[in-house]
This record gives sequence, C-alpha cells and structure tokens, in this order.
Amino acid sequence: MADRARESCIICQIIGNVIPSKKIYEDRLALAVLDVNGANPGHCFVMPKNHYPIMEQVPDIEIEKLFQISNKVSGAIFESLGAQGTNIFVANGVPAGQTVAHFTINVIPRKQNDGINLQSQPKQLSEEEISTVELKLKEQTKNIGHFEKEDEKEEKKAKIQFPKTAFLSDAEEEYFTRQMRRLP
Amino acid sequence: MAEQNISPEQLKALQEKLKQMSPEELKEFQKKQCIFCQIIAGNVQSKKIYEDEKTVALLDINPANPGHVILLTKEHYSIMPQLPDDEVAHIFKVVKSLSNSMLRGIDAQGTNVIVSNGIAAGQRAQHFMVHIIPRKENDGINFVLPQNTMEQKDIELVGNKLLAALGGAGALSSEKEEKAEEKTARSDTNLDDISKLLGVR
Repeated sequence: MADRARESCIICQIIGNVIPSKKIYEDRLALAVLDVNGANPGHCFVMPKNHYPIMEQVPDIEIEKLFQISNKVSGAIFESLGAQGTNIFVANGVPAGQTVAHFTINVIPRKQNDGINLQSQPKQLSEEEISTVELKLKEQTKNIGHFEKEDEKEEKKAKIQFPKTAFLSDAEEEYFTRQMRRLP
Repeated sequence: MAEQNISPEQLKALQEKLKQMSPEELKEFQKKQCIFCQIIAGNVQSKKIYEDEKTVALLDINPANPGHVILLTKEHYSIMPQLPDDEVAHIFKVVKSLSNSMLRGIDAQGTNVIVSNGIAAGQRAQHFMVHIIPRKENDGINFVLPQNTMEQKDIELVGNKLLAALGGAGALSSEKEEKAEEKTARSDTNLDDISKLLGVR
C-alpha cells in the first residue's frame, strides 16, 4: 500500500531522479529543488525524502531539519537573488490547497506588486465564537511540549513523556490519507 | 506599530540617538517599540493559547478563520533569517503541534503555515511570527500563487545562484552537510543590512 503511494508520488519520483529537477540542496533526509513553474523565479520546494502526505506525520527530527533548510534557502534567496522579501508557505491538507500528497514547504522570493497574495480578509467573530475556539485549542495545546529529540538519552525520555493523544490515531490518519487519494 | 506623526527634526534627533546606542540599548529600545514584545511581557492583553520558555501562541485579532493562531518567539527578531537554528527547530515543532491541535480540537480539515519576511512579502509587524490558519472546504480563503514557467537558461542561472549560496555542488552530497551549515552561519553578518533593507528593523 505504502509502496504504491510512493510509486505514484511525483515528489518521490523527483527524489528518486525518475523526474529530472534542478536541485539546490540535498542531504540524507531532505531535498530542495527549484520550482520551474513557480510563483516567482527562485521559488523553491523543500521536502523530506521519506514519503509523508501531511505535516502531522513528519517526525519532529525531520520537521526541525526541513524548516532549518527552508530558512537557509530563504536566506540564500535574499543573498543571491536580491529579493525584497520571502514567504515560507505550507498547504497542509486538500482544503488548505495541497495539490501533491507529499509534505512540501514552499520558499518564495517576493518583490513589490508581484501578483502573489497570501493575505486574507479578516472574519468578524462574536465574543462567544472567540472564547469557544480559545477554550477548545487550549484543551489541545496542554499536550504540547514534549518533543522527540535526536539525542539518545533525550529520545528515551521523550518517548515516555510524549502523550499518545498528540499523535493522529489510525482512523484519523486513514481520513487524511483518503483525502489525499482524491488528489490528481 | 502604527505610523506616528513626527516632525523631520524629531526624526533626525531619533536617528542620531539610535546611532549612539549600544547593541544592548538598541535591543531594549526595539522591545519597547514592538507591540508583540509588549504582549509577551504581559503589558498588552491577548488570548494566549500556548506558551513555553521560547514561544507564545496567540489568537490572531484579525483571523482569516476562527482559530487562526500566530506563534511568536519571545526573543525579538525582525525576520526569520535572523533566528538561530535551535530556535527554528523549536518553533516549527510547536507549529506542527498547533496544526495538530486544530485538526483534533476545532475540526479543521487542513492548515496553512505562513511566514512573511519583509513588507514586500506581506509582513506587517516588526516581530517575527508564524501564522497557522485552520482550513475547511469552501471557507472563502483564496491564496493566490500564480504559476510561471521558467525558461531553461533562467532555471540554470537562478538555480546555480541558489546552489552556490547554499554551499555549492559539494553540499549536494551528505558528507558536506556541515560545510553548508558553516556557510550559512557566516552569512548571518549580512542580516542586519538585509532587515534594514526590508524596512522591518
């Protein structure tokens, strides 16, 4: 099942050199390539070499590396392309605009009036709506804070401390994977 | 922070004062001027939904969707390239957990993670932050990311510039990983200039 998902994944094919790409950074866990159909010249993708459809499935250690690399790519865009700004953008899940079932970080060079828009109109919410969402999120964020660590000793500790509920259950994972299968 | 009406004389006096400040004084000054540093210090009210020793997560007062969260570093950084690697590592683990909290807690069907570095990228505050926006189908949010096909010669030109800035072809093999890191660490010295250029000092 997992292998079939990989075979049909365009990102996995880029990583496996089946589809050619312009690589700008590569290490054991991650690859960064130029998006040749990007929003601006220099638009890059940073992705894990392992196949994870959504961010919640990416282990903490890989999250660390991927965003550190994204920050370096963003710095390189400033340094070498003379960009006036950069965006780091993740679309996690189909309703969020994700188009490929492989977790990807977009790093986008920006200039004034370049036609990109990542702003959104503020929504008017009632006091009650705000308090409800605040309470519900607070209930969840109680579990945050015990991260998987690379250090062996820390890893052991983290394994015991990390609350099970913070991971996606099999059913939830199934939901998101199913959602991803709807992708072209 | 909002624009303030100051006379050219006042501006000149302020610029002189800034020039004479030590880095520590300058840091203090930035903190006083930054609304988010004031929020973190508890001087301005906010709806905190998570806090640890390095970060604070708040409900955005102008939410794109209910549950739109901004995650801030407690330390004042103007833009993300100024963050040391360990802060980047920590903050994005929190981002992942917050995204997870939205999927479980408020029935989000997806999330967007957005960082804007520089006014041209849509940055409005002078304090680095990550937006985490819960998404549902047909929620009316429409981010515009046009697609432009690059010509082959531009792919080579732009790609090679980035490749060189990231440590060159050597960095493409894993044993040269540290070299690429070293190179980025060295480039940190330019960051003050970059953030000045971006107008988000």
